[in-house]
Order: sequence, then C-alpha cells, then structure tokens
Amino acid sequence: MSHSSNSVKLKYLKLGYQNIVNNILYILLIPIMAPVTLQIFRTGHNDIINEISHFLGHLNLLPLLTFSFLIIFFFALYFMSKPCSVYLVDYACYKPPVDLKVPFSGFMKHSKIILKDDPKAVEFQMRILERSGLGEETSLPPALRLIPPNPTLEASRLEAELVIFSALDSLFRNTGLEPRDIDILIVNCSLFSPIPSLSAMIENKYKVRSDIRSFNLSGMGCSAGLISIDLARDLLQSHPNSNAVVISTEIITPNYYQGKERAMLLPNCLFRMGGAAILLSNKRRDRARAKYRLGHVVRTHLGGDDKAYRCVYEEQDPQGKTGISLSKDLMAIAAGALKSNITTLGPLVLPASEQLHFLFSLLGRKIFNLKWKPYIPDFKQAFKHFCIHAGGRAVIDELEKNLQLSAEHVEASRMTLHRFGNTSSSSIWYELSYIEAKGRMKKGDRVWQIAFGSGFKCNSAVWICNAAVKPKANGAWNDCIERYPVHIPEIVKL
Amino acid sequence: MTIESSSSSSTLEPLIYNVKLSSVGPGEMTRPDTIHEPTSIDLAMKLHYLKGVYYFKSHEAFASITIVQIKEAMFRWLCQFYVICGRFRRFSEDSGRPYLKCNDCGARLMEAECAKTIEEWLELLSDDDSLEKKLIFGQPIGPQIEYSPNVYLQCGGISLGLSWAHVLGDVHLASFFINTWGKIMAGHKPGSPPVLAQYTKEETPPGQKRTLNEPLSIKWVDPVGDQWVPSLTTKMESFSFHISATQLGRLQSKVSGSKKSDPVPPFESLCAIIWQCVAKFKTGTESNVVTIVKHDSCKKNKKFDNENQVISIVKTKCSVVESDIEELATLVMKGDIHEHEKLKNWVESEKGALDVIVYGVNLTFVSFEQAAFYELELKGQNPVHASYWVDGIGDGGAVFVLPTSKDDGKGRFVTITLPEKELIKVKHELKENVLQASE
Repeated sequence: MSHSSNSVKLKYLKLGYQNIVNNILYILLIPIMAPVTLQIFRTGHNDIINEISHFLGHLNLLPLLTFSFLIIFFFALYFMSKPCSVYLVDYACYKPPVDLKVPFSGFMKHSKIILKDDPKAVEFQMRILERSGLGEETSLPPALRLIPPNPTLEASRLEAELVIFSALDSLFRNTGLEPRDIDILIVNCSLFSPIPSLSAMIENKYKVRSDIRSFNLSGMGCSAGLISIDLARDLLQSHPNSNAVVISTEIITPNYYQGKERAMLLPNCLFRMGGAAILLSNKRRDRARAKYRLGHVVRTHLGGDDKAYRCVYEEQDPQGKTGISLSKDLMAIAAGALKSNITTLGPLVLPASEQLHFLFSLLGRKIFNLKWKPYIPDFKQAFKHFCIHAGGRAVIDELEKNLQLSAEHVEASRMTLHRFGNTSSSSIWYELSYIEAKGRMKKGDRVWQIAFGSGFKCNSAVWICNAAVKPKANGAWNDCIERYPVHIPEIVKL
Repeated sequence: MTIESSSSSSTLEPLIYNVKLSSVGPGEMTRPDTIHEPTSIDLAMKLHYLKGVYYFKSHEAFASITIVQIKEAMFRWLCQFYVICGRFRRFSEDSGRPYLKCNDCGARLMEAECAKTIEEWLELLSDDDSLEKKLIFGQPIGPQIEYSPNVYLQCGGISLGLSWAHVLGDVHLASFFINTWGKIMAGHKPGSPPVLAQYTKEETPPGQKRTLNEPLSIKWVDPVGDQWVPSLTTKMESFSFHISATQLGRLQSKVSGSKKSDPVPPFESLCAIIWQCVAKFKTGTESNVVTIVKHDSCKKNKKFDNENQVISIVKTKCSVVESDIEELATLVMKGDIHEHEKLKNWVESEKGALDVIVYGVNLTFVSFEQAAFYELELKGQNPVHASYWVDGIGDGGAVFVLPTSKDDGKGRFVTITLPEKELIKVKHELKENVLQASE
C-alpha cells in the first residue's frame, strides 16, 4: 500500500519536475515581466505615452535608422541562411497481388522438395519460420515460387519493374505529380544493381526530363532508405524550389540462397517482396498539402569495428553458392549501434527535462563515481510514434526492451513483419502506413523512423506531422487493417 | 504457352520440354483449423487417382492468354476450392483415420511446351495411349501425407491435364472443378465453396461386425502406410477408341435383340459386349463378377465426397462367354446389387484405417457419360476432346465410357485398361469382330 502510494508520489514529482524544466524560459520570464507589468499599471497610460515620446525625442534620427536597418538585416540574414524545410508530400507502398502470396505450408513444401537431400536444413527453416513473427500473407516474386527457384537476371528485372512501377504509379495518382516534373530521383536497392541502373530503368519507362539528377544507391543494406532521405534532403537544401522522388526497395530474386549453410538460409525465410515510393519537396506550394516535415536525420556507422563490419556479410559457402551470412553477435552489435545513434539524436529531440536528468546521471556516475544505473532517456516523451525497421522479431524485441517502449509503440513494426515480412529498406514506410491506416496520426505528432543495416549502420529520421492524415483508400493496408492488430504467438505450430 | 509444330518428329527431341513447376493456392487465407473429414466411401477410394486431359484446338483467341492470367485466375478459383489445397493428416499418431487440414498449401502447377500440334498429338495417341500420361504431372499422396498435393494441373500449349486424388470426390466434382476455372478465366466471380464433409460416427451394435461380409467390390492390398499408392505387380496397358453414333446404334440393336422397341442404353450395351469379349481371355470364374460404377443423377449437391457415385456388383452363375448377349445386357441393366451401404459399413467397422482398392477388383465398368467435360469453356472455345481415366487399377481391369463432342454427343469414347497380355487379345478381338461388324 505504501509502496504504491510512494510510486504515485514519485510520478507526480517527476511530472512536476518535467513541466518546470521544459518550460523554464517561461517560468524565468515571470520574475522579469511581473515588476514591469506592475509598474505599467501604477503609472497611468497617459504618463506612459509622455515618457515614451520624451525618450524618442532625445534620440537622433540617423543612429535610430542605422540601428533599425542593422536589426532588419541580421534577421533577414538569419532567415535566408536557415536551410529550407523539406516536406514529405506523400508516399505509396507496393501491395503485392494475391497470386504471389506464400503461406507457411506452401513455403515448407517447396523447401522440402528443393532441399530433399538435406532434411536438417529443412527442419532448421521450419523452426525459423515458426518463430519468425511472419504471417501467412507475405509474398515472394514469381521466380522464387518455382520448384526449383529460377533466379535469372531477367526474372530480377521483372520483379524490379513490378514493384517499382506499381509503387510509382500509385504515388503519381495520389499526388498528381507528372513524371516530367521530377527534379531529383534517388533509388536504393541493396542487392540488385544491373546496368543500366534501376534509376535509368525508371527514367526510361516514365520519359523524364534529360536534366534530372538521378542517383542509384546499392549495397547499403536495410537502412539505405534513410540514407536516401538524407541525400534527398541535402540536395533539396542546395536546390531551391525542387522536388525529389525516392524509391526504397529490395529486389529479392537474385538474393535467393541455393545452398545448405544454416546461417545463410535465414534470409530466405524472412525476406519478402516490398517497395515504397516517396515524394519530398521544398516548394512553397507543397507546404500546405504535405503530410510531414523532416526534422532530423542522424546516421551512425560502426564500420570501423571489425566485428560490426562482418556481422552481415555476403560470401560464398564451401559449395560456391553465394548468400548473406548473419553472425550470432548481430543483436549485441545492433544494441551498440542504437546506443551510439541515440547519443547523437537525444540532444536534438529530447525535452530539456530528460536531457538534464541524463546529464545529472552522467555526472553522478563519471565524476562523483556514484553507483547509479545508466539513465536511458525516455524517448516516449519526444516521440508519439515509432517505426522500427522490421528486420526480425528479435530486433523489435530488443528495441522494445532497450527503449522501454510499450506494446502499442511497437505494434506497427510487429504487424508489418506479420503482414509483409522483412521488406528491408521499405519496411519503415509500411509501418508509417499502418499508423496512418489506424487513424492514429494527428497534426504535430512526431515520428521516429529507425533502421539498421549491414556495415553496421543505425540511421534515424524524425518527421513531424504537418496535417492530420486521413486513411488512404488505396493504401497497402486497406483490405486487411480491420484484422489488425493480431496476436502473434511465440511459436506458430505448422 | 504456344504449341510449336516441329517438322521432324525425331524421337531424339523431347516431346514435352521447357517444364516449370510451381504452386497455386487460394487467394484468400482460409480460417485456421479448418478441416475436412472424408467419408467412409472416400477412404475406400484413397488409393485411386482420377486423371483427365482436355484438348483445345488452336484458336487466335488463345494467343492472348498468358500464364500470368491463368495463375491469377487460379488463385481466385481456389478461393472456392480451398479444400483441395490442404494436406492429409491423421487423427492420432499411428494409423488413425485421416483428415484433411485446409492449410492453403496449394496445388502443384506444371507449365510445359509440346513439340506437336493438337492434331499431330491426337494422331500419335491413337497409336500409343501411354503418351497421354506425359500431359499429366501427378505424384500420388505420400511418402508423408502431410505434404502431398492432391491436385496437379498442367497447362501446356492448349492442353489442360488434371491429376485428382479420388479421395476428394468423384469425376463429376473434378469436372465441375475444372469447368469453374473456365468460368473464372472468363471473368465470373468464384462461387461459394462446396460444403465440407463431416464424418459422423454411427454407432454399430456390437454384434453387427461379425455378420458383415466383405463387399465384393473391394479388395485388400498390402499395407501402404502413408504412401497412398497400391502396390500392384501386374503391368496394365490401355487402349482407347471412338465409337460413332452409327456404330453405337448397331451395337445397341445387336444387344437388344428382340426388344427393339425398348433398346438397351449405350453404356449397358457396351458393358455386355466388352464383358463377353474380355471373358474370352480370362480364365476361371474371375469373369463372373463385374463392378459397375455410375453416377446418381438424383443427387445434385456438390460436396467434397464420393457419395454421388453408385457402386454395384453384377454376378452371373453361368459362363459369360456362352451366355446370350441379350441376357447379359438384361443382367447388367436390372440385376445389379448396390454396394454402397455394405461398403460404408465395412469401412466404418475398420475405423477408416484400411488399404483397399475398388477399381479393378473385378472388371470394372465406369460410366462418365453424364460428366460435363465439354461444358468447359476457354475464351469461348470448348475442348475438341477430353480424356479421363483412373490410376491405381487392380488386375481385374477397367472400362471407362466417356461422352464425345462428335456426333452431337451421341457417340462414345471408350478406354479399356487391362493387364498387358489380355489387352492385346481383347484389342484384336474388338477390332476384328465387334467394331468391324458394326460398320
């Protein structure tokens, strides 16, 4: 009884502390403004006018004009040099057709036939699938649905066209953008990089302008989506009155691992088809209709550490088959990368109360050597919504624990993993789409998108909702959102 | 997806090539823990597989069909038939009654191309029946019944092959299944799924088992475990032929004899004639019993079971060879003993865990006459020919009587499957004495 009343008291104390520190400027203003206001009330208004005109009369015109001009000049300089805001006008996620769906039983049956000489590998895949958090409606491209799979170059191009063109057509429909009005085009796709590039493929299909600035990022892993956003922001800040289209996808046809090494079979079980097309703009006229404004982008790279560098590594197995090997230290390295990222992000987004708390905790531990537990700032105070890359169930569990998030905060990530699987760089967009489809996005809400990728990288983006978002009629979730959230058991019995 | 004709029909070139294997399943997720329980008659049929091939003549409308369209239509189609996409399990760990878990595993789909045109192929077939089997890719259920697909579909050029596990249903259900695909390709919406069978255990009084005689229409085979293929040692061969309306008319009048005003129906006439022909080359009293399998046209429900099939036995005490053909025909028409109840009770007494065959225990005459094979429509075209038979037949042999598209449907297409040695003699006999005489 006393314990609960103590915790209630502590809660109110904490709340009081937060309100005071976060509004300190306003609070400090009170002792300054109070005597001034009192003085004004004491002296009558006529006396005030007399005093002011008396004061002005003593001033010479020239210094006054110079002074005013300088003030205006410095204000103008400040506003001009401030980088222009980047807005997210709208985005579209690829929705695979029904004939590409892969239920668990179908996947396991194909696996049994393809790996008929290695029942242990099949058993391993089944155990992965049971615990993966994926649902029965994730999709694989046509070439990987054959027995045996046939990942040719042509099939990879086909998948790329299917995903990218479909997402772009949706984006053009939603925003009314004409292809010839695209100023900047950025495509990120880690594993498939043909010649001509995927961005050239888009330019060819949609007949864009010849002076378009296009970039094709490959090999940068699952966090490449946010790297593209970062690049788009830099370009938009140096090119006023422009827009940028970003395509984030992973073409999984060429990625299919045809060998038996267990560490390399894992991606076969988790990676699924997906893609997103995003329209960013710095144009004045897009400000009113844009959904989000880009706050910060923080990129952290642990490539300097050998273990981190090798934890997601593409290599050939003893039989010569190429695949991506995932190390057992992946979760530990991800936790380290996250810590590094939030150390930079924290000061940019956390309210003053949390920062002060963190500072005190740090001082206490380092300078006074007090035996305190390291204080993890409460990011729930900075952000309303979280989009954690759906890399796998373990990643989401780890972040939920480390950042002390509730089940509702990670719901978007878990449900995206269930419905679409691990779609690599586009998964954060499916998650954002989920939150919007549920009607939870309100004006002023802050969203934190966080993605991990090979290298090892941890990238974050902060978005602020610009206008209340209505659920889309043709969104990726529109035919199944009523079924969600679903309860995902620890182990699904196949 | 096109048929290419090759100028040289060298046997070195494979007839069927460019084979791709994949799976198709229901477009919408089936509710978890949906199960279908086969009835007792279904379980008696579990070692048999219905195979069918439809041939479409080349038409410019087919040029626009792509495999993507076909697959997409199949996913919509299988929403209605999600049952066939499931897998068999057993109720308890060891040899319990099997049931079908509707887990959307899917049906296997094979696409291939053929080196011959339809006309060339049908010509080749008239010499060599076994070629038709190439147009169907089908593996039986097993070795692990949890993972075996029940239906195989093959689209090569414009022939559609189907391998259908008989435990799911009879030929009319298989035909309805394929015809629905045709409708969905034409843009119709899938209908509501057929009702799932539910096994209701009927209480048999304790004394009843002792009084049950084993039905004449089934025969035990060596235990098959979870690989549902009967182990049959005799090599069976098939031979098919068309019977025109005129030939059929003559055969009927020959069989009807004095009763010309009330002629024997086509199926029964053929039964009598072929029975007598086969009996000439069978030894002993094996030929005194035949099994007749027909369709009960009164029952219209499209359920996933074999309950619409009528299985009956016809017995004769005298020698078949010496009997009068008219008497045989009368016996076939009126003297048949229905085995349905007996079969059902027998299977239930064995608790559904039995390995038996039905087709081929005795010489089995199967009527597919009422099946709507030619109602299948693809881009407005009906098949020029449809061929169906059953695999896993015992050495008693089987005779399948199918409708044809020629002669306004008044002719028949007959397939006879017998042990190799008997077939050669029967074929010769039929060609010389029966079919020639009726021209």
